[in-house]
Amino acid sequence: MTTKQLAKQKQTNNWFACLVVSLCISSDKLVFCPMLCVCVCSRRVAMATRMKLKLKTVFVLYFMVSLMGLIYALMQLGQRCDCAEHDMPKDRTISRLRGELHRLQEQMRKAEPTKLPHKLAVKPAQPTIYIITPTYTRFVQKAELTRLAQTFLHVPQLHWILVEDSPHKTPLVSGFLASSGLAYTHLHTPTPRDRKLQEGDPSWLKPRGAEQRNEGLRWLREDRRGQPGADTQLGVVYFADDDNTYSLQLFEEMRGTQRVSVWPVGLVGGMRYERPVVEGGKVVRFHTGWRPSRPFPLDMAGFAVSLKLVIANQDACFDGDAPMGFLESSFLQGLVTMDELEPKAENCTKVLVWHTRTEKPKMKREEALQKQGLGSDTAVEV
Amino acid sequence: MPKRRDILAIVLIVLPWTLLITVWHQGAINPLLAARKGKSRSCIYLGGFHGYDSGSAAKWYATQKPCSSENNKDIVEVVHTEYVYSRPPPWSDVLPTLHVVTPTYSRPVQKAELTRLANTFLHVPNLHWILVEDSPRRTPLVTRLLRETSLNYTHLNVETPRNYKLRGDTRDPRIPRGTMQRNLALRWLRETFRSNNRHSQPGIVYFADDDNTYSLELFEEMRSTRKVSVWPVAFVGGLRYESPKVNTLGKVYGWKTVFDPHRPFAIDMAGFAVNLRLILFKPQAYFKLRGVKGGYQESSLLRELVTLNDLEPKAANCTKVLVWHTRTEKPVLVNEGKKGFTDSNVEI
Repeated sequence: MTTKQLAKQKQTNNWFACLVVSLCISSDKLVFCPMLCVCVCSRRVAMATRMKLKLKTVFVLYFMVSLMGLIYALMQLGQRCDCAEHDMPKDRTISRLRGELHRLQEQMRKAEPTKLPHKLAVKPAQPTIYIITPTYTRFVQKAELTRLAQTFLHVPQLHWILVEDSPHKTPLVSGFLASSGLAYTHLHTPTPRDRKLQEGDPSWLKPRGAEQRNEGLRWLREDRRGQPGADTQLGVVYFADDDNTYSLQLFEEMRGTQRVSVWPVGLVGGMRYERPVVEGGKVVRFHTGWRPSRPFPLDMAGFAVSLKLVIANQDACFDGDAPMGFLESSFLQGLVTMDELEPKAENCTKVLVWHTRTEKPKMKREEALQKQGLGSDTAVEV
Repeated sequence: MPKRRDILAIVLIVLPWTLLITVWHQGAINPLLAARKGKSRSCIYLGGFHGYDSGSAAKWYATQKPCSSENNKDIVEVVHTEYVYSRPPPWSDVLPTLHVVTPTYSRPVQKAELTRLANTFLHVPNLHWILVEDSPRRTPLVTRLLRETSLNYTHLNVETPRNYKLRGDTRDPRIPRGTMQRNLALRWLRETFRSNNRHSQPGIVYFADDDNTYSLELFEEMRSTRKVSVWPVAFVGGLRYESPKVNTLGKVYGWKTVFDPHRPFAIDMAGFAVNLRLILFKPQAYFKLRGVKGGYQESSLLRELVTLNDLEPKAANCTKVLVWHTRTEKPVLVNEGKKGFTDSNVEI
């Protein structure tokens, strides 16, 4: 070969080197493969004679192929119309509507009479709170039970044991419980006549609800006996009267009861609140203004017992003949001692339950009308 | 000539690559190159909302949760958990807002009453609680309670002047209680919703006292109020319940009550609800403060808003009792003594 030809060869090699380098820089697969093929072929071709002409052809070929590749890419670009930005508001609307739909469906399901609420995302190991409520027929009964149920509906894993002071189940309570949406047990037991409060007796004269609470305990013990297993003994028993007011935090405080837990109660015992006094994490005495010498000067709403303890002490129950204010002590005496009590509600400094009482509505005009036979329609349930 | 050819060759090499690079930077080539992966879309659901003090607008926040595009159950479960346990239901754009006006005053049972009222309201969707205190300043007890409930609320206060207040604690029906507080709430509503046009979210105004008992069904009944709707109320007027008289055409023509049935509107405060549009349309309608006979307070407002003919009977043509006018006994605090036996720092 002549020097000129050598020079030309060098030049060609340079061009090819450039090509290869530029190909390596870009990772465009579309252009890469044909270019590689072209390169390889043209290299062989360029090795032959008349390099200059072949080089031109090579370049032209290369140009055409890469141009076609780019045009192909641009065509693809033109066809694509799905943009990521437009999806977001649509997604948002759809998820909101779905949430709305499911909430409405949930409300519909709640309106149907069911005994047990639907199993929602709840930890199965959470102890169930068994609430024993004695109730008796009077004007404000349905109102009291309504607002009590509205509170209980917020508490997960709750089982309401409603015991009527009546020889048979009343339709008002049965209908109410069926539509409440809570898990419940409807019991009834009448109070013996000599223990019942007569018309005109002050409310503190005789202890009330003892038989009903005992009935609730009896049912609970029997029910648990029929279900062996360590898991079924996990629970807390709380005696809730139907006219008190409960905050939702109270139920979370009592859920961890191991034996008997206690906390302050507001508006009871003739004081703003009654509470156990806690020192060093233990209950040392009780702060109350009425008969502090009682073994357990607590209100019924001021303590909760673990289910295990209730089942272990089959005979523990309320003594209906106990003197006024000793009802709670008659139950707790056999179960626990004062230093075993677990203080809740931030070491018994917060009031989470109030012993409210509802006034008896004045029915003078109603009674007068009823004497005339013009009383309000009894078919309407109040 | 060779130089020109060389230049031409250089241009021919460089030109397609520059085109490629410019197009590359625009990101057009990326989807073609990327493998077919499923895009992870984030699902947004609307959570609760902050309560707001008078004047500021309600804020509601949306929480983003990543979820796969196929499994829609994630959204549902999250909404479930948020709703059922002590959280108000998600705010809906479709349901009319219920503005519930509650006057309250400091007494031992106040926190208990407001607590159980809040427990009831937590079940009702699209509820806006307007709590008006009868005090010169907003008390920390109520402020803290409202903040902890996570309801949508407005906290107002106005003090009733001494000469309007009840003498001692006897129930004197000639002096209406809570009137100034309710009027303040009406004024607040008019100021807040004045600028909005007619097509803003519809609202219903209900006056709920803090010691009554409300069933959840009641709130759904009042949501469809067009002007003023009425229903029976238990334990008022010395009867089991008072109710409007409804004829076969579904129109109210009288009042089934013993205590002064000839009042223009013989109904209790808890027995009616007014559409917000009507409140805004009649800006002079307020509860009359002075010279109001016992039992005529409701009439003093309603008479300026509607006539008997426009009343809409609810609760199955006024045959079901959905609200009870319960009253809480005043607790006897005899053992407190003069100095107070219990620690006054503990809030009850």
